[in-house]
Amino acid sequence: MALLDIKNLTLEIEGSNGWMKALDKVSMRVEEGEIRALVGESGSGKSLIVRSIVGAIPENFRITADRMTWKGKDLLTMSDMERRLIMRSDITVIFQNPLLSLDPCATLGEQLMESIPGDLVKAQWFWQRAKSRRQMAIKLLHKVGIKDHRKYLKAYPHQIADDIGQKFLIACALVSSPKLLIADDPTRGMEITTKIQVLKLLSRLNETRGLTILFVSHDLLAISSMASRMTVLYCGQTVEDGKMHQLRKRPLHPYTKALLDSAPSFRKDLPPKSPLAALDGTIPTLQHLPIGCRLGPRCPRAQKECVKTPELRHVQDHFYSCHFPLIRDKQ
Amino acid sequence: MTALLNVEELCFEQRAKHNWFNQRSGFTLSPISFELNSGETLAIVGENGSGKSLLGKLLVGAEKPKSGKIFLNGQKLSSHNIKQRCLNIRMVFQHSNESLNPGITVSKILEEPLLLNTQLNTAQRLNKIVETLKMVGLLTEHMYFYRHMLSDGQRQRLALAKALILDPQVIVADEPFAALDPSVRSQTINLIMQLQKDLGLGFIFISHNLGIVRHISDRALILKQGQLVETGKTEVIFNWPKDKYTEKLVTSHQSLIAPK
Repeated sequence: MALLDIKNLTLEIEGSNGWMKALDKVSMRVEEGEIRALVGESGSGKSLIVRSIVGAIPENFRITADRMTWKGKDLLTMSDMERRLIMRSDITVIFQNPLLSLDPCATLGEQLMESIPGDLVKAQWFWQRAKSRRQMAIKLLHKVGIKDHRKYLKAYPHQIADDIGQKFLIACALVSSPKLLIADDPTRGMEITTKIQVLKLLSRLNETRGLTILFVSHDLLAISSMASRMTVLYCGQTVEDGKMHQLRKRPLHPYTKALLDSAPSFRKDLPPKSPLAALDGTIPTLQHLPIGCRLGPRCPRAQKECVKTPELRHVQDHFYSCHFPLIRDKQ
Repeated sequence: MTALLNVEELCFEQRAKHNWFNQRSGFTLSPISFELNSGETLAIVGENGSGKSLLGKLLVGAEKPKSGKIFLNGQKLSSHNIKQRCLNIRMVFQHSNESLNPGITVSKILEEPLLLNTQLNTAQRLNKIVETLKMVGLLTEHMYFYRHMLSDGQRQRLALAKALILDPQVIVADEPFAALDPSVRSQTINLIMQLQKDLGLGFIFISHNLGIVRHISDRALILKQGQLVETGKTEVIFNWPKDKYTEKLVTSHQSLIAPK
């Protein structure tokens, strides 16, 4: 059974000219123990998906879905209390800017010990409890590869480096030993060596503890090195979904192809200084979304039919939504 | 033939800070020498805090070096002659968004360097602005826009236009692509390569995205904590790295590309 199953999730925001669909029928399944990547540019609704999973959506947004279940339980209809319990014990999120999401006026140790819920601390008396909290915190830090716990538990967020901050947030997320870790662009703005450390840590957690990871990013390099399956989003629509190596070898949607082409590292045959393949134009804003397939105006293969929203089709377990996919025509 | 930009033994030392947390001495940039020919791209690669941006700032004159000389077309740049440097070496900043004034229109933003550095009259300035906007692929109407009305890619183009408007010979770009989305990023890369071909610009490119560095640069300069580690042709550095640090960078980059 899928851990998290989302079918036709639609999120609408009320604007000056009616309701705008920020997410348009997004479907996604996260199986237990896999690393699933969610790829999309800024404004494609990646973060909105994350927020609708954890339930941090403002009240005036309208959210509808055919199915949005966590281990078979419907997330949308359950009571707030139940949902909060799931969020505390099973799902955790780490955010993109580690140092900004920490409290600047408390030490890291205080923040980490505070995030350990009371019922996980076994000791009885308060001095014992404080000690056991501290030991748990140290253990967690060691688990994510921070060896010098004495220094970092006493440090303030502005005193630590980016990668330590990110590892620290992962440690905070691991407190309640969750089933699913949602990483919202964890490697943004990091240089290559620190990025690799964070990625290695995440894949090691996946291997050793069977932690399921939903990796949200637009950094294809980082994603392709660790994810097994990938979902590509564009402007709130699911564009393509499939196994990582399949997608990389043979993308079916023009947008996926453009994304892959935009990273020069993926193409060994490319002569230096040759122009890169790029889509014209930019991502449309929410107020000016094109009808039908939202890639339409930028797509090199667009035709008349593209004003109708294409349905999700599939070749085996490779899903795509395009009227004119990049398949060789059958003759 | 003299090189377009010639840097000799450039040195920088920051005064030591005395505060309770870090007792280390100030940051030093070791003597750095390199040459840049017109139409060439030099990439400066390194970790955070390795002095990449500092080197860029030294080149454009935002920081004063401790010692060392910078020659432009064989002419020594002095700290007294700011105009010579302003006209010929321009910088593109990392966050194009924050480097544009939100309160004035695009035409005002572009007019400012012209007012400060040239003797053009109003009509000529307007002409120049329109010309530059077209060069970077924006429309004449964009003149009346404010910063918030432009998209990310357009802002990056505008930042580039701001650098290009004085017809410089060298452009120093500090992580120009870091904040851009992949599809917009390739557009900007194409634009820069096209402009370089057309105008024969020397381009100094500060980045930690090795994929792009490998694609667009002719030569690379690897920095580590202010020390020059390695310099040479990009192809050579990527295929046969000599230093351990460079090797680590390259192999970690390769390990990301290789399929799982």
